[in-house]
Amino acid sequence: MNCDCTEKISSLIDGELPPQEARELERHLLTCSECQEAKSDFLNLRAQIADFPVAFKPVAQREALARILGKQKSPARTVWRWAFNPAVAALASLLIIGVVIGLLVYPKLKSSPAANPEIAGVNSNRNNQTPKSGSTGGSGQVSAPKPTAPKKSPTPASPEKNKVVPNKKRPPLAFEPQPDNIALNTAEPPGDTERVRSADAETMTAIHFQKSELLLRSFRNVRPGKPGAAPELEYEKKLAQKLIYQNMMLRREADASGDAQVSSLLESLEPILLDIANLPANARAADVKTIKDRVERKNIVALLQVNSTALARALD
Amino acid sequence: MASQDEEFTMLFQEFYPSLCRFLECLLGGRVELAQDLAQESFLQLHRTAWETLPHEQARFWLYRVARNFAINEFRKSNARYRLFDRVMEVMTPRSRNPEEEYETAERKQLVLSMLRALPEDQRVALLLREQEQLSYRDISQVLNVSESKVKVDIFRARAALRERWTKKAKSYEARA
Repeated sequence: MNCDCTEKISSLIDGELPPQEARELERHLLTCSECQEAKSDFLNLRAQIADFPVAFKPVAQREALARILGKQKSPARTVWRWAFNPAVAALASLLIIGVVIGLLVYPKLKSSPAANPEIAGVNSNRNNQTPKSGSTGGSGQVSAPKPTAPKKSPTPASPEKNKVVPNKKRPPLAFEPQPDNIALNTAEPPGDTERVRSADAETMTAIHFQKSELLLRSFRNVRPGKPGAAPELEYEKKLAQKLIYQNMMLRREADASGDAQVSSLLESLEPILLDIANLPANARAADVKTIKDRVERKNIVALLQVNSTALARALD
Repeated sequence: MASQDEEFTMLFQEFYPSLCRFLECLLGGRVELAQDLAQESFLQLHRTAWETLPHEQARFWLYRVARNFAINEFRKSNARYRLFDRVMEVMTPRSRNPEEEYETAERKQLVLSMLRALPEDQRVALLLREQEQLSYRDISQVLNVSESKVKVDIFRARAALRERWTKKAKSYEARA
C-alpha cells in the first residue's frame, strides 16, 4: 500500500473528481497496478451492493399505497408494536393460561351434574317447548305447565317468567302421549328430569342413547307425504337440534375418557342428527328417505339400543 | 387533489421498492421492519409534506425520514424484532429453485454482514451512493452534512469493506 490515491479512486468511480484530476488519475492508473486493483475492488463492491435484490411484492405495495392514500395508519406496524409490547404479551400469556386451565377443568365440571345446570336443565327446557309441538297434534294433551309455575312465582300471570326459570325445580311434566305419536313419547320419559340432574356422564350417555333411539324410530315412522305429518317432522327437528348439543358434549366426554366405542357411536350419530335438524320446513320425501336409508344402512338404531341397555345395566 | 394523488402514486411506485431495499440494508436484513418503515415514511410524506414540499425534493425528504426512522429503531431494543424476523424467515415461502434461492440468500447475507460492520453514517452514505446513485451533493442534502464528510464517509466505508473482503478471500484461499 504505497500509493495513496485510493481516496481519489473512490471519488473517480463516483464521477465526483474534477475533470483535470480525473484525467491525471486515469493516466496514473495505467501504470499503477495497486491502484488498478483498488479500483477493481471498489467496483466489485459496488456491484455487490447495487445488486442487492429488492423484496418486491406488488400486492403488498398496492395495499400499502391504498392505506397511505386512504390516510390510514399502517396497521401492520401497529400490530407488531402491540404484539411485542410486554404488557400485551403478558396479557396474552394470562389469557392462554386461562384457556388451558378452562379446557382442563371444564370437562370435570361438566361431568358433575350439580355444577352444570345447563345440561341438567335440558329436559326442563325441552318441556317448555314441548307444548308448542304437542298443541299441534290436538287439544288437551298438555296438562301440567300452566299450574306449576304460578305457585312459586311472585308474578304468576307473566308467561315470560315461566320461560326464564327452566332450572328451577318443578314437578315433572305429565304428558299424555298419543299412541300414534312416538315423537312425543321420545321427549320425556316420566321422571327423567330428576334423573338427568343427578346423573353422571355415563347415565347421561345412556339416556342420550335412549332418546336418540326413540327419535330415530319416530323419524322412521314419519310420513312426509301424508297431510298433517309436517308438525311431527318439525318436532323431530327440534328434538334433533337439542340432541346434537348433548351429543357433541358427550362425544367430547367420551373422547376425553378414552371410551372409543361410545365415542364412535356418538360420532356416527352426529351427522344424522344434524341432517334431521337441518331438514327444510317442507322437507321432500326424497330427503327424508335419504336420511332413513342412512339410518338403516348404519344400523344405528340397533347399536343405540344395545349400548343404552348395556350402559343402563352397568349403572344398575 | 386527484393529480396530487396521481403524482404521489407515481413517486410511491418508483421509490417504494428501493426505499425498502435501502432500509433493509440499513437495518441489517429486517425485511418486514424495512417495509413498515418505508410505508411509515411515505405516510409521513403524504400527511405532512406533500402539499408544501417541491416534488423534486420529495425523494431526498423520504430518504432522510426513512433514515431517521431507522436510527430510532436502532436505539430501541434490537432483540424485540429478532424473534419475529426469525419466524418470518422460516415462514416465508421459498422460490421454486432452491439453488437460486440459496445463492441469493448467501449473497444477501454476505452484503448485509459486510454493511453491518460499518458505522451508521458511513453505511447510509455508501448505500445512497451505490444503490440509489445519489451524488455527493444529494447525499449531503439527505443527511444534512457537508459534501466533504460524505466523500470521506464513502471512501472509509469502501476501504473498510475492501479490507474485510480481502481478509475473507485470503481465509477462503487458506482453507482451500
